[in-house]
Amino acid sequence: MKGLPYKIAGLLLILFSLTYGLWSEVPELPIIEQSIRNLFYHVSMWFAMVVMMAVSFGNAIGFLSSENMARDRRSISLAETGMFFSVMGLLTGMLWAKFTWGAWWTNDPKLNGTAITMLIYMAYFVLRNTIDDPRKRARISAVYNIFAFVMMIVFIGILPRMTDSLHPGNGGNPGFNSYDLDNRLRLVFYPAVLGWVLVGTWIASLRYRIRNLEE
Amino acid sequence: MKNTWLLVQRYFSQEVRNSNVLFSLGLYLVGVAYLIYLLNGGSIPADKVWNTLLWIVVFFGAIQLSSRSFEFESNDYFHYYQTIAGPGATIIAKLLFNSAYIAVISAVTWGLFIVFFGNPVFNNSLFGLALLLGSIGCSVVLTLTSGVAQRTQGNATLGAILALPLLLPILQLTSALNLQAIVGIPTIEASNLLGSLGALDIGIGLLAYLLFPYLWQD
Repeated sequence: MKGLPYKIAGLLLILFSLTYGLWSEVPELPIIEQSIRNLFYHVSMWFAMVVMMAVSFGNAIGFLSSENMARDRRSISLAETGMFFSVMGLLTGMLWAKFTWGAWWTNDPKLNGTAITMLIYMAYFVLRNTIDDPRKRARISAVYNIFAFVMMIVFIGILPRMTDSLHPGNGGNPGFNSYDLDNRLRLVFYPAVLGWVLVGTWIASLRYRIRNLEE
Repeated sequence: MKNTWLLVQRYFSQEVRNSNVLFSLGLYLVGVAYLIYLLNGGSIPADKVWNTLLWIVVFFGAIQLSSRSFEFESNDYFHYYQTIAGPGATIIAKLLFNSAYIAVISAVTWGLFIVFFGNPVFNNSLFGLALLLGSIGCSVVLTLTSGVAQRTQGNATLGAILALPLLLPILQLTSALNLQAIVGIPTIEASNLLGSLGALDIGIGLLAYLLFPYLWQD
């Protein structure tokens, strides 16, 4: 099996974050209480998504400069995996929002960013389906992918910082950093991010290989 | 640069000659503004609603405009101009033309809204500036996405689907600025938002300029 070490490492890290995340000591904070553990499961989804989308974006640029079809297959496979993470991130986030803010959905810049990211990438998938010629499809969707990624970064990375948000660290809400994204949380959070990125890479590589077979 | 200018002139003369389309766009703007007036029972909407409605009217007008942005130059025509002027000049000309067009659409809509609902804006110059920057941003996104849609062989609705999510960041930023102008915040204090909208316009404009040639390779 190719790349066995990183796959095992990814699985172990996720296993660690899923189990130790439940019994580790966490800071006790009002309102958020024990749901702070969702940090490990919710925020790591977004990190994994952004990594997947970024590598997909890099592959789109690579395709335009090299016309190498393998790059295109990597790009779409990674975007699909990123989409999966964004759905997971949305679901875990909605759950968290229900128990701390009292509603499944709130008018929050980060939530809007998520919704729009998903719309953008759905449009990307629709675009891919409408073009039959593979080379043309690769080129045109790479153009859209590059543009879409930049807009996504603007929307989830820049705009929320300029407006109020219910999320920690925004609009008068203290960030985890300011009291404690303390070492107890970090100990589980960073491994979780790394684990999901590794497993995401695995998922994307499977999809990529299926595409290769289909060609 | 000379090519770009010639192309812009050509787009304008084409638009003026095709007065039928121009007329229908104007009719759309007046019709929708009046529709809102009618449905609202002649009362004046709150500031936020006023701003939202304004942008919805501009948004659909811009979508309508962009859906036929590449209509005239399907296939041979386009390749002809492409070889004479080059993709760089073409995209710049398109961006200039569409920006001006959407700016006019938004200005006309603002005018219509003043007629029907009055003008709640305190800082008119800031509002106008926001409309202009927003129009430029919209035109960049719409020009690129309608180029993409055109390449998929005339799938008209696809252009709107591709553009919609990409327009939202620009529209949100612009309407935040508009709301500040309505409240009457001095232009200097809004310079943070103005600067970021301007930077966004320039950034995506450059991106469109870089990406456009790839769209037209065969």
